[in-house]
Parts: sequence; structure tokens; C-alpha cells
Amino acid sequence: MSKQLQDAYIVAATRTPIGKAPRGMFRTVRPDDLLVRVIQSAMSQVPGLDPKLIEDAIVGCSFPEAEAGLNMARNAVLLAGLPNTVGGVTVNRFCASGITAVAMAADRIRVGQADVMIAGGAESMSMVPMMGHHPSINIRAFADENIGMAYGMGLTAEKVATQWKVTREMQDQFALESHQKAIAAQQAGEFDDETTSVEVIERVPDLASGEIVVKTRSVNRDEGARADSTLAALGKLKPVFAAKGSVTAGNSSQTSDGAGALILVSEKILKQFNLTPLARFASFAVRGVPPEIMGIGPKEAIPLACRAAGITQDQIDWFELNEAFAAQSLAVIQDLGLDPAKVNPLGGAIALGHPLGATGAIRSATVIHALRRRNLKYGMVTMCVGTGMGAAGIFERM
Amino acid sequence: MSNFIVKKVAVLGAGVMGAQIAAHCVNARVPVVLFDLPAKEGPKNGIVLRAIEGLKKLSPAPLGNKDDAACIEVANYDDGLELLKGCDLIIEAIAERMDWKHDLYKKVAPFIAPDAIFASNTSGLSITALSDGFAAELKARFCGVHFFNPPRYMHLVELIPTATTRPEILDQLEGFLVTTLGKGVVRAKDTPNFIANRVGVFNMLATIHEAEKFGLSCDLVDDLTGAKLGRAKSGTFRTADVVGLDTLGHVVKTMQDTLGDDPFAACYKTPEILTRLVAAGALGQKTGAGFYKRVGREVQRLDFASGQYVAGGGKADDLVVRILKEKDAAKRMKALRDSGNPQAQFLWAIFRDAFHYIAVHLEAVADNARDIDFAMRWGFGQKLGPFETWQAAGWQQVANWVKEDIDAGKALCSAPLPAWVFDGRSGVHAADGSWSPARKTNVPRSALAVYGRQPFRAPVLGEGAADGSKGGTTLFEDESVRIWHQGDEVLIFSIKTKMHAIGAPVIAGLSRAIAEAERNYKGLVIWAADAADGGAFSAGADLQAMLPLFMSGGVKAIEPEVVRLQQCFQAMKYAGVPVVAAVAGLALGGGCELTLHAARRVAAIESYIGLVEVGVGLIPAGGGLKEAALRAAADAKGNDLLQFLKHYFMNAATAAVSKSALEARQMGYLKADDVIVFNPYELLHVAKVEARAMFDAGYRPPLQKLVPVAGRYAIATIMAQLVNMRDGGFISAHDFKLGQMIATVVSGGDVDQGSLVSEQWLLDLERKAFMELLNHPKTQERIMGMMQTGKPVRN
Repeated sequence: MSKQLQDAYIVAATRTPIGKAPRGMFRTVRPDDLLVRVIQSAMSQVPGLDPKLIEDAIVGCSFPEAEAGLNMARNAVLLAGLPNTVGGVTVNRFCASGITAVAMAADRIRVGQADVMIAGGAESMSMVPMMGHHPSINIRAFADENIGMAYGMGLTAEKVATQWKVTREMQDQFALESHQKAIAAQQAGEFDDETTSVEVIERVPDLASGEIVVKTRSVNRDEGARADSTLAALGKLKPVFAAKGSVTAGNSSQTSDGAGALILVSEKILKQFNLTPLARFASFAVRGVPPEIMGIGPKEAIPLACRAAGITQDQIDWFELNEAFAAQSLAVIQDLGLDPAKVNPLGGAIALGHPLGATGAIRSATVIHALRRRNLKYGMVTMCVGTGMGAAGIFERM
Repeated sequence: MSNFIVKKVAVLGAGVMGAQIAAHCVNARVPVVLFDLPAKEGPKNGIVLRAIEGLKKLSPAPLGNKDDAACIEVANYDDGLELLKGCDLIIEAIAERMDWKHDLYKKVAPFIAPDAIFASNTSGLSITALSDGFAAELKARFCGVHFFNPPRYMHLVELIPTATTRPEILDQLEGFLVTTLGKGVVRAKDTPNFIANRVGVFNMLATIHEAEKFGLSCDLVDDLTGAKLGRAKSGTFRTADVVGLDTLGHVVKTMQDTLGDDPFAACYKTPEILTRLVAAGALGQKTGAGFYKRVGREVQRLDFASGQYVAGGGKADDLVVRILKEKDAAKRMKALRDSGNPQAQFLWAIFRDAFHYIAVHLEAVADNARDIDFAMRWGFGQKLGPFETWQAAGWQQVANWVKEDIDAGKALCSAPLPAWVFDGRSGVHAADGSWSPARKTNVPRSALAVYGRQPFRAPVLGEGAADGSKGGTTLFEDESVRIWHQGDEVLIFSIKTKMHAIGAPVIAGLSRAIAEAERNYKGLVIWAADAADGGAFSAGADLQAMLPLFMSGGVKAIEPEVVRLQQCFQAMKYAGVPVVAAVAGLALGGGCELTLHAARRVAAIESYIGLVEVGVGLIPAGGGLKEAALRAAADAKGNDLLQFLKHYFMNAATAAVSKSALEARQMGYLKADDVIVFNPYELLHVAKVEARAMFDAGYRPPLQKLVPVAGRYAIATIMAQLVNMRDGGFISAHDFKLGQMIATVVSGGDVDQGSLVSEQWLLDLERKAFMELLNHPKTQERIMGMMQTGKPVRN
């Protein structure tokens, strides 16, 4: 059981729409600019809150270098116009960076050392590719017991597919449903509450006139979901990570750009500024698994997070289970006996995209708003993590 | 002197030919604007843009470098005609309709610059008729310039003047076509279908006719009329399928429409089978069915009688194969004629028809016999032209046989052979030139200045000129090499082994040539005598020759040979005079390494360069990986070395071979200041010019210095990729080992990043890895497999 002095409440949670990488709508938008946008948007949702009370901004990012480097969190704080007394730290747990940032921010409040925190995540896979610009692995990883450290994520998904007997057909079906659910959710406006629109500014040289043409447009819709996805089309794609494998570009998450931000406060602040909490942060857990089957990570983290929250798995009404790969999602669902109807009701990363370190913050916004709309109690954000981890965070609607 | 420099070309018509001609201009660094009709929907240049996209997917690739597609300027006839004013050569390549062409000419004529040359790529319409209605001044600048498909690869361009074309325009254009675009120019008369298609399509019709007569199926005919006759592998019917049966039908139709008084007119009837196929929409390769149809993995042939597709794969009778292997051309032709075998008789019949046809038509269609032979060699992929074939088989004897057949009513028409055939001659090609019935004399080769760039012109049988294997003055010659010169201060080194494979005698010869060049010459050029004839620069190390040594002394016996190879290449790199590698065709493995150590590379556009050692389970050990490490270090200029090393690693680890000299430059096998030559006949000239210029500019070899290597950081990062490929089942454990070894060598070994190493350090790494592999059973399996079957073993 956790020992905490007070609870941490989420009073604002928002995210950008998710762009496709590397050629999508945010291909020219820096991740720190996306982050600034969601921080400002979150702050605007609690207009009475005194920004000077914010202790720190904890921001997740999987490849915090280049445009996402130089401690992006602190830069975003300053660029967002927050007082320079507000700290900033960029944290990395790959795909769980965002949810880890939320947990760390909550913990600062829960131990009584902070009253207002910003948590978030930002990633531009358009600007900083998977593995970063200068990948360098320790040569000692090639010893047999650690070889999984060198595995690309897709290969680990193949290993999970084989070990958990997840067929190509099952994966493609899962992928198709992800798209169908996402399209339906978009049509029903399910993402409206959580989404902050972004002004995309493009600066293109017009060689004929010698002028720089500045084009500005506002985007507010996730780019990845495909209404025209079919089993037949998915079935035609070739496996990319193993010669005789089953994991394809179609049944894997999309590479993406995006950011999310949440504002967490103590009960004292709720009262002082008369804020309405959206949710309480209930618990967080992380657990390591063998790197070569990293996709199974949530299977270990989910029960731990439930135990920490003092609830049973059945009490979770909504799972945001990051669809890194259909193969690992299905293995986790299968082994834990999750109710498929509760898992990613609005579609997942296969359709909506997966901006790595931002995903945890983005899907926190999704689950928090969904719990409110549907009048549900507990929601979870969970994902597998590269080099073999699972992470899970639980929110309780207020 | 006066220069003719084409600053910009316009191509009108973005069809298959127009787009590819534009692509080849870009290959040759000639700015080009490609026109077509404005699109009815979407962007106005949509038609051209789509054609350019199509270029990237076409095989064989029209572009030497796909990215260069963006260099083709796009335009349409509605709002782009102003661009024409900046072009000094305009090539029209729209559909073969006289009325359409005339309409377009009216539209563009006002925009053609006053000195620009205007040419049509028509494959058969009358150039004179096309120029009807032009102002006299434009007529003087108009001619036909007929490329063959695919224009990058087919050597032939027919140049067709009208009576009013100014001669200097033709000379200028010929110079541009020969040097800049690398083509073989044949001047043709303005007769229907010009030379190559006139003769080539007649051959096709005659072949179909004789095949029916002798009851031979199309697969059998293709086996008989393909490589076995020294012609394109696709033979007759398969070629027709590739060309498109509708296109073939159009060309035949042109012949019917325009050649009514030709004695062979009856032969121009569209074969019934062709009419049937076209009517059924079976247009050949582009529709998936024609004379052949691919069913799954099987290629079925059309059965003429039933119209059904049946199993193919018919092969020539052994007897006929034996006849065709006879070296003596006279005996071969006689054997074909005398044989009772229907396949042999068929072959004699198509030879007879071809000889009959060219003898009757030579005067009308071409200036001289050489032009017909070149047209058929360069436009239809025949190793020997039809007149050459006749002459080789014994002129008078064959002439009499043809006459006998005409008299006996066996020939396709009764037109007699012209009298000159029987004037006692022994052929149409002689030392003083080739026979021109119109001029009644032998006509020597063109004396245009551009041909001064060809030390050895395309040979013609019977002409007796020395070729590159014997020309010049020989200083040293043995079974493996020739060291020689042409009296112009540049020494030439030519490898004589099969595929110019490199064994110990070649290395000894090269060492000798380097020493001789350093003593007495301005430079050394490495050049293959068959460079312009599709020969290899060098296919690599001579594994076969190493075998006895390996058998008797094992790996230990090989190591000194590798050391000698490395030392020789190093001596070449640091020679006191420039060594220039004149590359054309394959430069693989050791052949690639040979080029890498030259002071400069002069490469024909069709250069296929790569380090392919992994195919036989080895890694480059002649300095190829050492050069990769050096080049990466030079490219990186102190930045993250691995970023620059990656593609060199990939090149060697995947045995990647460039598909053009332009691509070789992108891959790093050619440097920025290396020269790309478009006409392989000019290769030696340019290489010698380079060598002399480098010497005259005060050549000094590079200074030896230590280079930074990427070390264990790079090895680990590359290995991470290899692990994924191995454990994902994309590569075998042995491939993984080879990849790891290549990574280790190009990274300078398991040392700290940024360590400084010498060339010898890198060479030692190469050699040690090579020796370890040579002892490896999986590598030995690959080597044996390659030697026995010529195909790589995957293990």
C-alpha cells in the first residue's frame, strides 16, 4: 500500500491531435512548440490558478535530443510564458515516459512537497527518428543473455506473437477494429474534450517571387485513422521485422508526432482556487520483463497498479492499452483476461498513432475525459516499454 | 575552333520514348524541358509529371540516378511554349500521326530559336513530308533523329536528313549524339522506317513466314534466333511481345502503306496470327499475353494452329546446336543449307531472306553496307550485322546459293540480286571502306572530328583494322596481360584473362606496368580492350586460378598472394605518375578494388561497380574496405564517422552493385572529380587525356597519413542491426558473421572511437578476416558453389 500524505488531482488534461511521422501535418512543427501549446491550453482551462504555485513541469520524451533536447521541459516552461520560478525536467522511460511523468508529478504532491505540478509528454518522430540521430549501443549487450537489448521493437513483437500464438489473422483483425473504433469515435466527437488545436505554420520559399510564403492552418484531428482499412488490404502487407513473420506496418502502431499536458494539484489548491477535479491519480506501477518479449510488459504492471490502487482488475472500466503492436496487445488481453469491450473503446495506437514518450500523457487525457463522459469510475493507461518493461497508471473519476 | 554546345534540349511528347530521351539528357547533364498536352484535370503539367514518375519505375532504368528525375523541367503546350526559345535542340516524340505532328509543328514553330535544331524522333514517317509547310529557313534546320527503345541502353540513333537539311546541322548533331549522349550514329536515307526498322521488321515478318512454312513453334524459333545466332536473347517472338504487337502492327502498316512498289511488298502483309492476337487484345508483355503468356511461374507459348496457349520451352535440335557452334562461318552456313533438318533449313531460309532483302534495298535505304550492319548491331542487338554475316560465310558462295533459291522460287520474292553482288567481290567491307551502290565505290568511315575521340572505332568485319587487343605498340605481353602504348606518353595496361579476372600473373603484370609508367610515361591507364563491346573491366579475383594453390598449401599458401595484391594496389595508389582506371561494364570485387586505388576513375555510364565478395562467403581483402574507411573519414570531416561509414558498410555487406556510373558516384565508388563518359568508344581517349592532364598539372600522389576510425562504437551499432536481421530470419548465421567482420574492418577494429590508424592496419584487418573465412566450411561451400554453377549459394 502506498503511504501518502494527500491525494493528487488532475484539474486539466489535454493533448494535441496526433500527426503522422515523418511526413504528416506536424512534420515541420517542433516538439517543444507542441508542448508549449498544450501547457498553455491546460493552464487556460484553470484560469484562476496562480502559475507561481507550480513547482515543476515533468515531461516525458523517448528521444530527448536535437529538437526535443536541451531539457525540453524547462524550455517549454519559459516559452509558454510561465514564471521562471517553475522548474522543468525531461524524463525518459521510452513509451511510458508520459505516464511516468504523470506519476512522478503526482508523487511530488502525494508526499506533500508540492501543490501544483505540470506533467506531460512530447515527441516528434518526424524530427528525431526512432533510436535518435546517433544510436549507439553498448557492445556488451551482445552477450547472449542480453541480446534482447539489441532487438528492434518489431522483432520483440514477433517473439511475442510466436510465444503467445497470436496469428497474423488475429493481428490484422485487431488492427482493423482499431481503425474502425477510431473513425467511429472521431465521427461521434469523442476526442473533442481532450484535444487542443494547433496552428501549423509553414514557411516555404516561393522561388518565382523571391518571397517566403507563410501558410497557417489550424489542425485538431488525429491523422492516422483510416476509414478505408480492410482485412484484405492489411493482409497484403509484408512482414517487416522477420522474414517469415506476422508483424506488418498495418498491425503495428504508427510513428507519430504529438504532445499532451496535465495539471495536477493538491486538495488544498482545489479548495483555495475552487477548482473542479477531473480525476484523482490512484496509482502507478512498473515492472521489468525480458527485453526480447518487451510487449508482454503490461501483463506484469497491470496487476501491480491495481493492487497499489486497492482495486481489482475487474473494477477498471476503461483500459487505454497502448497498441504498440497488435501481437503484444492481444497477448496481454489474452493472458490477463481483459474484457475486449473495455480496451481502447476509441481505437488505439495502430489507428491513432503513437508518439512514443508523449503517448502516456495523451492517453491520460483520453481516459480522464472518457470516464467523465461515460460516468465511469476507474480508468487505466498502460503500455509496454522498450528493453522490457510494462507500466500502468490508474485514474479515478471525481 | 567552333563549338557546338547544347545548352538546353526540349522534348515534345512525354510518351515512352520522349520521357526516356529526356531522362537520358539528364543522365548526360544536359538541361531538358519535357512537354506534353495540358492535363484536362489536376495540375496543368500532370501528364508530364506522371510520365516522370513512370520513369522511376521503368525497368531497365532510364535514369542513372532516380533522384535526377526532378531535374527534368516540365511544361505543356498551352503556357510553356516560351520555354522553347531557350532551347537549342528540340526533339519531337509524339504519336506517329502525320496530322498530329503537323498541328504541333504549327503551334511550336514561332517559338523555335533562330539557331535551334529541330528534329523528329519518328520511327518511320517521311522526314521530308513532316517538314512540309515549314519556312525554308526552318527546313534547313530540320531532320530526323531516331532513338531506339530503351534509349539509354540502345546504342543506335539514326540521323535522317532531308534534301534541304543543312549539312553542318547534321555534323553538329552527330557530335552531340556521339559524345554527350554516347550514341552510335548511323545516317539513314529518308525512306519508310529508315534502316534498322526497315530491315529488322522485314526480318521479323520473314521469320514468322518461314516458321509457319517449316512448322516451327514460337519458342523453338526464339531459341534458334536468339543467343545461338549472336542476337538478343529474346529471339523473334519474345522481342515482338516486348515491343508490343500493336506497335509492330503499326510499323508493318506503314510498310504496307508506303512500300507498294517494293518487290517484297507481298511480305509486308500483316501475318494473320498478328491480326488475330491484336484483335483479341493480346498485345504482348504489356497486356500479359501475346505470343507468350505467363501463367503463374510458367511461360506458355501460343500454338499457332489452335490459338491456345500450351507448354513452352522448346529447344533447338542437338544437331542444329552443333552446327551453330561451328567456328568457321563458311562451314556453318553450308551445313545449315545442306542439312535436311527442318530447323537448319529454316535458319538458312531466314539468312537467305535477309541477304536477299538487304542486297536489293541497300542502295535505296542506306549510303553503304556498313550503315546497315551498324543499324542491325546497335538497334537490334545483333553481334554481327547481316552483311558481315554474309561476308564471313563466303560472299560469292552465299550469293550463288541465294540466287539459286530465287531462281527456284524458294525466296520470298523473285527480285534478282543486284549486279554488284556478282562483280567478283569478296564482300562489301574492305580496308578502304564499305560498299555504296549509289556511289559505286567503297566509302570510308566518317571523318567528323568527334571520331578523333575514338582510338578504336566500332570494328567492321572485313575492314581489317587493328582493334584494342592488338593496336598500338606492345611493350610486354603474356597470357594474362598486355602493356602497350599508342605513342602518346601514356602507358596502357590491359587484362586478357576471362572476364579480366585478377590472378597472380595479372598482379605481376600490373606491378611491372606501374614501374614502367613511373620510369618512362606520364601516366598509366587501365583499360579493357573489349570495353566498348560489353566486356567487363574486371569481374574480380580469379578464384579458379587460386584453387590449385589452396589444394596443395591450404590457406597459408594463399596469404602471400593476398599480401602481393594489397601491396600492388598500394603501389598503384602511391605511384609517382597518375594511374587512371578506365571502367566500363562490371568492376566487381577485386575489380572494384582495382578502381578504388586509381588516382582517378574514368567510367562509362554503363559501369556496374561493387564489392560482391560476400556472395562467395568472403570479404574484400584488396583494400576495398580500407578505402571505405578512408573515404568515410574524409567525408565526415570530423563529424560523426558512423553516419558516413554506414552506406559503405551496406554496400559491401549487401554486395550492392551500381546500376550506372552515376549511381556508383552516389555509392561512393566514384569520387566527385571522377569522370563519367557516355560513349564507351571514347573511354580510352578520355582516360588518357585525364592521365596526361594530371601529370602536366604536376601530379603528386596522396600523402600517407593516419586516419580516424569509428571503432567499437560503430561495430556495436552496426551489429545491433545485424542481430535483428539474423534473429528476424533475413540473414543466415554466416551472413551475420560476414557482416560483423565487414563492420569490424571498416570501423578499424575493436578500438576506441576516433583512434588513428594507418592504411596497413586496415589492410591487416582485411587480410586476417579473409584468411579466417577462407578456412570456414560455409565460405568454402559458397566458393565451390559459385565455381560449379556460377550462382551464389545461400548458406
